[in-house]
Amino acid sequence: MSGIDILNIARDSLLSHQTAINLTGSNVANANTEGYSRQRAIFSTMDPGVRIAGIERMYDQFLGVQINGQTNSLEGNEARQDALSRIEMIFNETDGGGISELLNEFWNAWEDLSANPSGQAERMTVVSVSQSLASLFRSYGDDLLDVQYDANTRVSSLVTEINGYAEDMADINGKVTQLAGTGSSSGLNALKDEQESLLTSLAGIVDIHYTRNTDDSVSIFLSNGLTLVDGNRSWALDTVADAQTSFNNVVFADDPATSINSSITEGSLAAYLEIRDTTVEGYLGTLDTLAASLATEINAQHALGYDLDQNVGGDFFFFDVDPEVQEARYLKVSEAIVADVNKVAASATVNGDGENAATMSALRDELTMNSGASTFNAYYASFIGEIGQDVAYVNRSVDHDTVLMTQLTDKREELSGVSIDEEMMNLIKYQTGYNASARLFAAAQELSNTLMDLVG
Amino acid sequence: MVMRVSENMKYNALMDNMFTVQDDYNKLMEKMSSLKEINRPSDDPIGMSKVLNLRESQASVAQYSKNIESCQSWLTITESKLSSAGDLLVTAREIAIAQATATASADTRTTGAGIVEQLMEEMLSLANATYQGNYLFSGTTTGTAPFSSTARDAAQIGAASASSGNTFDGAVTSGGTYTGSTNKTYVVKITDWNDATETATYSVSADGGENWTTTGATFVLPAAGSVSTGDIGDGVELTFDDTGSAALAENDVFSVQAYATGYYNGNGGELTVNIGEGTPFAYSISGEAAFTDKGDGEVDVFGVLNSLKEALENNSQTGISDLIDDLESASQQISNSISRCGTKGNRLEIASGNMADRELDLAGLISNAEDADVTEIITKLSMKQIALQASYSAASRIGSMTLLDWLR
Repeated sequence: MSGIDILNIARDSLLSHQTAINLTGSNVANANTEGYSRQRAIFSTMDPGVRIAGIERMYDQFLGVQINGQTNSLEGNEARQDALSRIEMIFNETDGGGISELLNEFWNAWEDLSANPSGQAERMTVVSVSQSLASLFRSYGDDLLDVQYDANTRVSSLVTEINGYAEDMADINGKVTQLAGTGSSSGLNALKDEQESLLTSLAGIVDIHYTRNTDDSVSIFLSNGLTLVDGNRSWALDTVADAQTSFNNVVFADDPATSINSSITEGSLAAYLEIRDTTVEGYLGTLDTLAASLATEINAQHALGYDLDQNVGGDFFFFDVDPEVQEARYLKVSEAIVADVNKVAASATVNGDGENAATMSALRDELTMNSGASTFNAYYASFIGEIGQDVAYVNRSVDHDTVLMTQLTDKREELSGVSIDEEMMNLIKYQTGYNASARLFAAAQELSNTLMDLVG
Repeated sequence: MVMRVSENMKYNALMDNMFTVQDDYNKLMEKMSSLKEINRPSDDPIGMSKVLNLRESQASVAQYSKNIESCQSWLTITESKLSSAGDLLVTAREIAIAQATATASADTRTTGAGIVEQLMEEMLSLANATYQGNYLFSGTTTGTAPFSSTARDAAQIGAASASSGNTFDGAVTSGGTYTGSTNKTYVVKITDWNDATETATYSVSADGGENWTTTGATFVLPAAGSVSTGDIGDGVELTFDDTGSAALAENDVFSVQAYATGYYNGNGGELTVNIGEGTPFAYSISGEAAFTDKGDGEVDVFGVLNSLKEALENNSQTGISDLIDDLESASQQISNSISRCGTKGNRLEIASGNMADRELDLAGLISNAEDADVTEIITKLSMKQIALQASYSAASRIGSMTLLDWLR
């Protein structure tokens, strides 16, 4: 053992504590940085003295996987909630003024006409209420289509986002493998944090599987096993218009003929695909069925009556553009009737009675929908109930996912988050260590002086 | 084990709780201001569709009540016209009884005849009374004055009428001799037109076009000259003459009114409206039943009065006394119609009561389903207020407790 040893010990100790203090500084500085995992210096004894064996990044990989899975589910449900709450606004009939109320007015207008079949005012009311009803069907149909088109636009912009994240990940993978050779652990830790936040961002959009390789690069696969990122390479996705629906299909850019829509099962991309292809499509189907049945039943009854000029009633409602395409967004009142309200066939005979109008309004109680199980109004009311049900369900899912997410985030924060109090305690500890190391120098110097004095 | 608490955890927990309480608070405020438990379908999907169904019932019940009211007005007017008509007949009968005695002279009978003529005019205006522009006693042809001042001695067939929307623009005329006992509207509808053979297949309706007899009868429309359908019922015939440019087409409608003898121009139909779900209600009394001897009627009121007038003018004591019984029957017929008004009125009264009850019930049900309980909301609101204050107070202290405050 030599006197020089104490100097070496003092130097190592001083440097080690210096490193620890630097890390504390970095932790404090990043206390509010999203995705930052706190770092800790690992002191290790050296015979004699101390050294920093490594810088530990406080991170639980399994918790990370769980958080990404939860993000996947949460962002999918949030996307659904976004679209569904827009639909709910369209169909909010709590204050009246919707199709439900107009249907009531429509039936009542026929009742009024039946009591005074030759009345011009009654005829005009029937026509104008029917026009309002048809125009509401059209606007609801258009509004639903807007939601569908928006979802379609979201699909292509989310695909662009995925491509951005995949490229970034490939880029970082390249840097990580380079750094792994140099042993710069703090630089590596920062890149790992970046990788994690890219994974979380990606998981929000699409359900992915990923593996961390021995060289610290991350490989990402879609749920169907196709590779999105491997090493410093990434495969771009693209959107191609479907031949039938003309909506965007998600494909790999190098295989544009194969749609991978069905492999995307969760996350916001899947949610928008689902909203577009299933949810809104279903709502439109229900609304179209109602419009088509209403037009068919009313037209059939109208044809059994006579107008004021003794003509057999013509079509009351018709579908614009193409009579075969019986969709709510095309429903209109016959132009001939709008031009001449006397063409409303209110009478059951050529003598101008009001019996056909009464029969017409009695259709309100006919079980015309759901293969003879419900009336027009009841069918529409249960449709509103169904939308409400869907919205309530997605709201509950978002609430549930958010609670889980909060718990998981807390769990991660508990391990990876920075506590200022802790860092302050560490600072005091390391500062004391640093001070003490400096004292070692003084002691070594004294020792050396004593020795010199003996010699001198 | 002691949990590490990072800075973010402290802030996140506070923020989360604050948002949760604020969200609840806002929802309560919304309910408070709208006074509704359901402000969007997702608040209570089942409740929402229940409310929509209840509102539909409410709207239809309100409409039925409105229909009942207008029936009641119609019946009230009808009843008052009929009872005035009854009074006129009583007066006529008094005159008949007075003038049937041997003490009456030709002079008093002539005066009597003048009074009866006045009574007839008065009776005519009662029978031709309108309500909101519609004739009360013309059956379902509410646009036609039901009674004329002079009687038809023989049955008549009116002019044929072609509907304005018909393709056929040639001439159509009516013909034949009407053998029916009541007024009817005959309608011929072309159900098929074969352009090559110029053959028309048609259906015939004797009740204005409501019920059809599909006989499969056909006729060929000649290029020049005319063709008759032959008897389409009770001797009525239609003749088509292709003088125009367009031939017949499917759904071309031709109608003709056929009148029996007497003063009446309306028909025996009754007007109906719905006074409940699937409950059409005939609210009118046809002039046929009230004033004529055709269809449901027994005595021709105008005919009896006219005979009385003529008997008085002719100074025929036996003629006058023979009519007393007829006048009695006429009064009876009118009072039968009045009591039918009464029966209908009672039925409406019951229906109206039902509707009023249902309106109340429905209002209650809707209120139960969608209205907010204000007391409950206020209680909850003040609880949330305390929670909100607590979380604000906690938030204000979050920065003040750290180790930093103690390091000097």
